Amino acid sequence: MSTQEEQPATEPVAAGVDFDELAALLGDDVLDREEHVHTDAFVIRADRVQDVLGTLRDEAGFDHLSCLTAQEYADRFESIYHLKKYDDPTQEVDVVVPTARDHPVSQSAEPVFRTADWHEREAYDLVGIEYDEHPDLRRILLPETWQGHPLGLDYNQDKPQIVTLQKHRNPIEEHHRESESDTMLLNIGPHHPATHGVLHLRTILDGEQVVDVEPDVGYLHRCEEQMCQNGTYRYQIMPYPDRWDYISAGILNEWSYARSIETLADIEVPEYAQVIRTMSAELCRIASHMLAVGTFALDVYGDFTAIFMYAVRDREIVQNLLEDLTGQRLMFNYLRLGGVVWDVPEPREEYFEKVRDFLDDLPGSLQEYHDMLTDNEIFQLRCVDTGNLDPDVAKDYGVTGPVARGSGIDYDLRRDDPYGYYPNLDWDVVTEPSGDNYARVLVRLREVEQSARIIEQCVDLLEDWPEDEREIQANVPRTVRPPEDQEVYTAVEAAKGELGIYIRSDGTDKPGRFKIRSPSFHNLSALGEMANGEYVADLIATLGSLDIVLGEVDR
Amino acid sequence: MTLVGIIGRLLGWSTMSPGQEFVAGFIGAALIGTLMLTVAAFAGPWAKRKITAAFTDRIAVNRVGPFGLLIIVADAVRLLSKELIVPEGVDRPAWDLAPILMAASALLGFAVIPMGNGIQLADPEIGLVYVFAVSSLASLALVSGGYASNNKYSLLGGLRALAQNLAYEIPLVVTAASVVIFAGTLQLSQIVSVQQQTLFTIAGINIPSWFAFVNPFAFVLFVAANLAEVGRNPFDTPEAPTEIVAGYQTEYGSVYFVLFYLGEFLHIFLGGAIIATLFLGGPDGPILPGFVWFLIKIWAVFLFTQWARSAVPRVRIDQLIEIGWKGLLVLSFANLVLTAILVGVFLA
Repeated sequence: MSTQEEQPATEPVAAGVDFDELAALLGDDVLDREEHVHTDAFVIRADRVQDVLGTLRDEAGFDHLSCLTAQEYADRFESIYHLKKYDDPTQEVDVVVPTARDHPVSQSAEPVFRTADWHEREAYDLVGIEYDEHPDLRRILLPETWQGHPLGLDYNQDKPQIVTLQKHRNPIEEHHRESESDTMLLNIGPHHPATHGVLHLRTILDGEQVVDVEPDVGYLHRCEEQMCQNGTYRYQIMPYPDRWDYISAGILNEWSYARSIETLADIEVPEYAQVIRTMSAELCRIASHMLAVGTFALDVYGDFTAIFMYAVRDREIVQNLLEDLTGQRLMFNYLRLGGVVWDVPEPREEYFEKVRDFLDDLPGSLQEYHDMLTDNEIFQLRCVDTGNLDPDVAKDYGVTGPVARGSGIDYDLRRDDPYGYYPNLDWDVVTEPSGDNYARVLVRLREVEQSARIIEQCVDLLEDWPEDEREIQANVPRTVRPPEDQEVYTAVEAAKGELGIYIRSDGTDKPGRFKIRSPSFHNLSALGEMANGEYVADLIATLGSLDIVLGEVDR
Repeated sequence: MTLVGIIGRLLGWSTMSPGQEFVAGFIGAALIGTLMLTVAAFAGPWAKRKITAAFTDRIAVNRVGPFGLLIIVADAVRLLSKELIVPEGVDRPAWDLAPILMAASALLGFAVIPMGNGIQLADPEIGLVYVFAVSSLASLALVSGGYASNNKYSLLGGLRALAQNLAYEIPLVVTAASVVIFAGTLQLSQIVSVQQQTLFTIAGINIPSWFAFVNPFAFVLFVAANLAEVGRNPFDTPEAPTEIVAGYQTEYGSVYFVLFYLGEFLHIFLGGAIIATLFLGGPDGPILPGFVWFLIKIWAVFLFTQWARSAVPRVRIDQLIEIGWKGLLVLSFANLVLTAILVGVFLA
C-alpha cells in the first residue's frame, strides 16, 4: 500500500471500464445508456436479464453482483443490478431493468448469480417487482401474510396490518411425526442461544447431520431504508447507520453513508478529518472483530469461557477509547458530511497516550488468544476443515469481508477501492486460503493486528498535525440538495464486509430512494452451502464464524 | 468401626438387633445424604461460580452476604418457588421420574464410599460393582427425560447422552478393573487400605502406594473417561447450550430442574469420590483427619472439572464417540492386559 494519491475518496471511480466496448458486447440487448454518478448504466429489456448479466460475467469479468436496488417511479418499476469485479471493484457497471407499472415482471438473475435469489425476494417483498424464473419468490423480510409492498408508491402506510399466527404457515406441521421419514425438522431459533440475535434456521436433520438449512430472516426488520428516505441528508440520516451493524461497528457504517452522499453532493473531506475517520473506523473494526472472535469461541466452547471474557475485556478498552472520542459507547453518530463532528478530545496528549497504551498491550492479548484458541488442538479439531466455503461459491453469493478473505479472495475495499486515508498508510490485506471456520478466525485475529498498525500511523499523523490546519469539517451547505435524478452507489469496507449505499436524489433534501447493501445479508445467504452435510455442532460454529449481526441482515 | 456402629453406640445400643441396625443405618444414610447434598447443592454451585469467575477474569457473586455466600439461599428460594410447568404432550410418568432418578442414582453411590474416620454406610464385597451399577442409572434418567420431554432438542440431548455414556462407561469400568487386579478385591475399604502401604521413600517422605502413583496411566484414563461420564467439557455435548439449547433438560423447570442440576453436581462429586477411592488412597493423608482429606480430594476433582470447563472447547459428538471407542476403549483394554500380565508375573 503506497499509493501517492492525495484525495481519492470522493472521486467517481468508473475509470478503466470501456463502456462502448461493453455496449458492443451486449449488442441489441442495450436499449439505452444512463449516466450514474459512480459509473455508467445500461438499460435492458426485462426478459433479457440472464443473458446480459451472463455475458457481463463471463466475457467482461463482472463476477460480483454487489447489490440489487429496486424502486418504483411514477411510470415504471426499475431493478438496478450493481456489478463489480472482485479483482478490481473500481470497475463497475450498472444494469437497469425497467418494467411496466401494470405488469412488473422481470426475468430473474438467480441462474447467473446465486446472490440474486435473496435480493430479488427482497425487491419483491418491499417494492413489488416479480421475477420470472425465480426458484422461490417469497417474501423475505416481512411476514408471509403482509398486505402490499411498503416501498411501493401506492402503499397505504396507515392501513393496519394484522398478521395472525393462525394464518402463518406452521413450520412443524408437515414434517411432524412422519412415520416413514428418516429426517427431522429442527427449528433453530428465532430464540436460541447461538443465533446471535433473532434468526430462524429451518434445519432438516438426518440424525445429527444437516441435510438442508434455510435461514429465515426479517425478525429485526425496522424499515431502515424507508426511515433514511424520510430523513434529510445533512443531519437526520447519519444516526441510522449506527443501528445496522450495532456491534461496535458504528463508525464504519456511518462512513458508508458519508461516502455515498459525499460522492453524490461532491463534498471534499479535509485530510485531517480523513485521518480521524480512519483511526476511529479502525478502532471500531478492532472492537467488532474482538466480539466476533469471542462469540465464535462461545459457540465452539459452549460456555462463557475464558476466551470470551478476555475478548470482551480487551474490547472494553476500545469502547472506552471510542467513548472518549465520540461521547457514545454504541450509537456513535460521530461522522458528519464532509468530516467528523468534533476533534480528538483535549488534552490530546492524554488521549493519544491511551490509544498507544492499548496498542502496546495488544500483541500480548493477541498472543493470549492464539494460545487459548487457535493453538488449542481441540479447537483445531472442531474448526479446521469445517464450514468450507469455496472461493467460487463465495463470489457467486456476493460474500465479502473477512469471510471472503478467509476463502482466499483477496478483496478489501480499503485497498481496492480506496477511500479515507487508507491509501497513504502502510498496511496489508489479510487472506487465508483454506476457507474453513479456522481460516475465518485467523483472518479476524490478523486483521486486528493490521488495524492496530493503521491506528498507530494515524496517531503519529494526528500528533504532528500543524495546529492551524486541523480542519475537521468541510464547508457543507446547511441544506444539502443534490440535483434531481442523480444516482450513486458506493461501498466501504465495514466490519463484516462490503457495506454499500445506493442513493437516488429527487431534487429535495431527502433521498428519493435509499438502499442498503448489507454484507451480513450476503454472507448469511451462503450458510446453506457451507453447512449442508455437516453436523449440527458445525452448523452452529459456521454460523458463528460468519459473524452476522441481525440488525444489519434485516435492516 | 462403621458409621452404623457409631450411631448405634450413640443411641446406646451396644449390640443391635436387625431392627435397630436398620434404624441406625437409616440415620446414617440420612446423614451422608444430607452431607453430600450440602456439598453438591449448596457449596457446589457457589464454588462453581467463584471458580469459573476466577478462571475467566470475573468477580462473580459478591453482593449477598460475605463472598456472596448467601446467594445460595436466594437461589434456593428462587428455584423452589418457581412454578413447575409441565409442557403439553410430555410422557408421564417417565418425565417425572427422570430428574428423581438422576439425583437418586448419585446419592445411592455414596452409600459404599469410605469417607474416612469410619464414615462408610455399607461395605459390601462387591462395592465397586455396586457404585458403577447405580451411577450408570443416570444414563437411563437422561435418555428417558430427553425422550419423554416431547422436544427435539431434548431428544437429541438424550440420545447424545446415551451414546456418550455407552462409549465412556466401558473404558471407565475396564480401567477400574485394572485397579481391582492390583488390589485383588472389589471391596472399597480393602482397596483403600491396600493403597496405604509405602511405595517408596524420597528424602524421608513416605510416598504411599496410591494407584495414581502405581499406575499413572490408568489414572489419566480414568479421569478423562470420568469427565465424559459426568458430561463436562470437553465432553459436554449432551447439554451443549449453544447447539441444542440445554439438551435433555430443555423442558425442565423449577424443582425438576433443581433435581437435574443437583444430580449433575452429585455425579461430579461421586466421580471425584470414586477417583479418590480408587486412585488417591481414599481418606488417606498426613496430619489432617481422614474425612477432611476425603473432602479435599473430591473438591480437587471438582476444581479440575471446572478448570476444563473454562478452558477447553467442546468436541463434536462424532469426534467424542470416536475418541471413546477408538481411543479410550483400546487404551483401557491395553492397560488392563498389561496390568494383568505385570501383576501375574511380578506379584504372584
